[in-house]
Parts: sequence; structure tokens; C-alpha cells
Amino acid sequence: MKQRKFIILMLLPTILLISFIILYPTISGVLLSFKNYSIFNFGKVKWVGFENYKEIFSDVFYIDIVWNTIKWIFFSVFFQLIFGFILALLMKEPFKGRGLYAGFVFYPWAISGFAIGLIWSWLLNGQFGVINDILLRIGFIKEGFNFLSDPSLAMFSVILVNVWYGIPFFAIMILAALQSIPDSLYEAAEIDGAGYFTKLFKITIPYIKPTLINTILLRIIWVMNFPDVIYGMTRGGPAGSTEILSVKMINTVFYESNYSKAAAHGVIIVTVLVLYTIMYLKLTSKKEFSL
Amino acid sequence: MKRLFLIISILLVSLFVFSEEVITLNLIEAFSSPWRTPTLNKIIEMFETLNPGIKINVISPPYETAYQKINLMVSTEQPLDIVEIGDWNLSTLAAMGKLEDLTPYINNWPEKNDLIDGVLEAASIYKNTPYLLPHGIFVKTLFYRPDILSKYGFKNYPKTMQEMYDMAKKLTESGKNQYGFDFRGKGYPTAFIDIVVTSFFDDIDPNNMYLTKDGKLIFDDPRAIEGLNFYVSLFKDTAPKDSVNWGWDEQVNAFVSGITPLLFQDPDTTGMLNEMLKPGQYKTAPLPVGVSGKAYPTFGFVGWGIPTYSKHKDLAWKFIKFVSSSEINGYWSKSYGALPILKSVYKYDSYFSSNIFEGWTEMFKDPKHYQFTQYPLDNENWGKWNEFQEKTMQQVLLGKLSVVRCLKQWSDFWKDAGIK
Repeated sequence: MKQRKFIILMLLPTILLISFIILYPTISGVLLSFKNYSIFNFGKVKWVGFENYKEIFSDVFYIDIVWNTIKWIFFSVFFQLIFGFILALLMKEPFKGRGLYAGFVFYPWAISGFAIGLIWSWLLNGQFGVINDILLRIGFIKEGFNFLSDPSLAMFSVILVNVWYGIPFFAIMILAALQSIPDSLYEAAEIDGAGYFTKLFKITIPYIKPTLINTILLRIIWVMNFPDVIYGMTRGGPAGSTEILSVKMINTVFYESNYSKAAAHGVIIVTVLVLYTIMYLKLTSKKEFSL
Repeated sequence: MKRLFLIISILLVSLFVFSEEVITLNLIEAFSSPWRTPTLNKIIEMFETLNPGIKINVISPPYETAYQKINLMVSTEQPLDIVEIGDWNLSTLAAMGKLEDLTPYINNWPEKNDLIDGVLEAASIYKNTPYLLPHGIFVKTLFYRPDILSKYGFKNYPKTMQEMYDMAKKLTESGKNQYGFDFRGKGYPTAFIDIVVTSFFDDIDPNNMYLTKDGKLIFDDPRAIEGLNFYVSLFKDTAPKDSVNWGWDEQVNAFVSGITPLLFQDPDTTGMLNEMLKPGQYKTAPLPVGVSGKAYPTFGFVGWGIPTYSKHKDLAWKFIKFVSSSEINGYWSKSYGALPILKSVYKYDSYFSSNIFEGWTEMFKDPKHYQFTQYPLDNENWGKWNEFQEKTMQQVLLGKLSVVRCLKQWSDFWKDAGIK
């Protein structure tokens, strides 16, 4: 009993700190979503129940926004994983200048997402963009692409940039996991006559599976909450074709200055993510997996 | 030791007795920028030199979040004495009841009669009371590139919307990456759309851009269909397709590089154009008038106000008066790019009567064709409107929504917002 009290006492500062920096803002955000706190009524804030939620779900564009969010997450994470995996495999074996190469490959991860969005919005500009200029000069195209103003290309363009940005994260995580696989496993497999793909699917992937599951889980959460690139490139346009939930939340603050409605958007996003995490963990739970 | 103690005591007492009390005023600006904030600091330095008992402490929040910060600070009565207010947050601040009515100050201000006509009225949109004194005016005008126009055989700027369309169409050679009109697709394209659409009307209510004089919503009027169709043609026939995604940066870039030599913009664009283009390479002209023979520009403005809870209101006014004096307002407007608020500045500084400012000068002296009109900025759906209008307009431009259905949505929006 004494020991139990001691443990609680030792944990108390951490519990208090977490309550202060995580629980308080979360609860306050949820409460805010049930008020009418906007730039027009600082002085007369009151409870409005589910009004903000009703308004959000009655938005004619909301279905498009949800669909955009799904596309944004799926394609971003899928290609980040594939290319990150390939990159990690390429960098697993030591070679001359690997450090320099790694620095070059990982540098996008060090730049702010918003800055990346702005830089790429100029690179992909239909009139002055470098990408179009290069494609035109090498004769690959005869007329420049309207990467960010053509709705059929806009989502592809922002996902492309997000993939470019997110590959290093997957590569770092997977590379770390790959380096923990004992060489003896590969040696034994080689003695048994296993080829490259047999080793990949029978040793490498099963061994790093917990890392892959964790990384995909985290990355989906981050990508869903990552409006920076889209905001820098299109602000959700043209005609809402790149507007995802988190961009809509920002637009609600910047255009409408409606903090309660933005909080309601935030609560919806968090709810979706919590449900997704529970489902994902249940589906992927195995003996060797632990979060 | 005793002697040293005595000397120090005497020094401290004399310092206390003879030192003048310095009062610090807190000023918050809304439009901080690498060009503007240093100019403001220079003006403050001048003011402090002339008034040794007053110090001004400048608070410069990031541009993107400045309005939110100002609104929060004022609503929670944090120590502020001078507040920068833009037309788009004036009603919010005034509705809180935290802004001082500046009428008594302005009435006793000798330079009051030198104010540009209509400025004070425009700044009194909330309950007909001047809660701020504007320090700069923004009105859109037509910027054009004579060097590009002359290459295509045009000796003058277009005077009507139809002339502008015809000219822009002749300038458009997409194969050569040459277009006519510098279109705005994103980042508050509201004014651009409305300038074109309202030019098809001759009876716009001067107090509300979206109503006719007989109180009907313009979006229900057949003339709006004509106007919006014209706007779509302007995009389809004379502007780069990519401009659906253009904001201010892209517009200025396209104008400077000569891709689109016809641009509607505010005077703060002149600051950048003066740096990037040679003298005479760009000029301004009045906005082209529509079929009605009229155009309806809006007065955008930004100014200084005093919170009701400030303990130093008279000193705050002293500063505002100083900044608004003819010499300082001229210096400020030139560096910043806004139009001066005093008539005398246009006379004493030839810069403001140069052909760079011809567009505005002509519009100001022609009330028959140019009716300055207000937006319903005090309506709480105004912010939502900007996002909604941008998104639906882009849908029209991309062929996903018809002009008629779009206007129906706009009309419903404003009816729901209480404007009928």
C-alpha cells in the first residue's frame, strides 16, 4: 500500500503537467465547439448546442471535402511508404558518400510545410513555373500544364508534393528498423537458397512489420492534420478541389473568424482519428505488435 | 564613506526631482510588413523627438493574424492607446463598444477640411460615427503597360469594359505566353468580380454594393447574368487558365513580366512596381465603365483609433494628429503605397499628381461616372461570403456551375444573411 502511494506521488507531477498541456486545451476546444465564439460576438458568447455541427454537416461542399481528405491521405501515405521503403533498402548497404547522400535525401523533412507549399506553388505555376519550362524545353509537352488551376491536376499536384515531403520520414523509420535485422537471418536464408524477393517477403517485411504498422498509423494521423502544403499551394482551390478537413478548419478561422465552428471542425477530425486508431489497432493487433 | 553616501543620496534625489515623467503609449499595427513597419518606426522617432515626454511602444503582430490579435486585445481591455483598424474589422471593434468616438477630436482638428471628400463618411460606416481617422485609402484602378499595348498598336488605355475586353482579346496569344487581362482567382477576388458585374448597373445603392437603389438584390437582376457572363468571358478569352489559382503575388508577377498588361489593383501595388519597372513602363487609368456608363469602386481604408479604456486618450490623439498631418501623411503614403487622405498632399507632392496616380485622380473628380460604394461590412456573414464567393466563382470559371445557378446561390446567401 505504501509502495502504491509512493508510485502515485511520483507520477503526480507528470499527470498534472499532461492535464495542463493536453487535457485542458482539449476540453476547452470541445466546449468552444458548442458556443458561438466568433469575431462578431466576443461580448455575447453563449451556448448554442449542436448549431456549429449542424451548420458544418449541412454545408453542400462537405461531402467533397471528406472525399478529398480520403484521397489526400490514401495516395500520400501509400506513395510515401513505397518510395520510403525503396529508399531505405537502397541506403541499407554502406557505400561511399552515404552520409552526404542521406543528408540530401532527408533535407525536405527539415523545411516547414508551409514554405514547401509556397515554393512548389511557384515551381508548378502554369505561366512562370520551372517544371513547365523544363518539360517544354525538353519537348516533352507543347503547352504548359495548369498544375494548380486545373481541378483534375490540382489534387495530383498537392499529393505529389506531399509525397516528396513525406518520403524521408518513412525512409528514416524503415532504415532504422532494417538495420536492426540480424545478418545471420539473411545468411541462413542464403544457405537455404533464398532469392532476393523471398528474403524481402519472408524476413525483411515480417521483421520490420511493427515499425511499418506504427509508422503508417502515425503518418495517416499527421497527413490528415497537415494542411500546410495545400494551404501554401492552393488554399483548398480551385473550386474546393483540394480542400481537406484541416484546410477547411483554417479557412473557417481566416475567412469567417468563427472560432467555435473551427473548433467543431477540430472535434470532428479528432473523433474520426480516434475511431480510426481503435479500428486500425484492432485490425493489426498481433502478438509481436505493441504501440 | 559617509561623504560618498551623502553624494549618492544627493544625486538620487536630484535625479528624482528633475527627471520628467515619461508616458508610454501602446500602439498596435494591423498591416506589419518589411516595407511599412520601418516607416512607421521612423515617424514614431520623429514624434518622440518632438515630444520628449512620450514614448510609443509598437506591437506588430504577424500580418495574417493581426486582426484576431487586435480584436482579442481590445475585447479583453489589454493596455492599448492607439489601434490600427481596417475597414473589414471596424464594425467588429465598434460593436464591442470599445472604441472612442473621435468626433470631438476631429471637429477641433484644423486639417479636417483638407480631408478627401467621402473619406470620413466611408470611415463612419458603423452608426454613422467616426471611430477611426483613416491614414490611407485603397481604391482599385486600372494599371496598364503602355510598352506592351503599343506593340499591339494600342495608343491609349481602354475606357469601357467592352473596349478592355476587345483589347485584351487582341493581346492574347497563348502560344507566345501573352495574355490580356490579369485575372484574380483566389485570395479575396470579391472586389474584382463586383467591379465587373456592377458595371452593368446604373442604380447601385451607394450604401450597399449588393443592392439597387430600390432595395433589390443585384443578383436577382438579369443585368447580373450579363455582368457575370462577361466576367467569365474575360477569363476564358483573355486570361491565362492558371489564373484561377492566382492571388496578389501572381497577379503582380504577371504584370511585371508583361504576360498580362491590364490589371485592376490597389495603390499599394505601386510600391513594388516602382521598384521592379522603369519609370513610364506602367501607368494607371480610371476603371473602365460598363454598359451603364458607370463603375462602382469601393473605398477601402485603414486608420487609427483609440480604445475607450485608454488612460492617455489626448496623447493618443496627439500622435494620430501628427501622423495625419499633411507632411507626414505624404511621406507615409509614398513609402507605403496608399492614397493620401489630405487634398493638399496631392498638390504639394508632385509624385501624387504624376501619371502613376492618373487613374485615381480622374476617378475622384468624376462623380458622374464613378460612384464610390460601400460593402455590407457590418454583416456578420461578410467573411463567410468571401470564401463562398471565391469557391462558387471558381466553379463557374471551371464550368462546374452555371452562371444562373451561381447567382441564385449568391442571392440565397444574402437573403439568409438578412439583406433583402
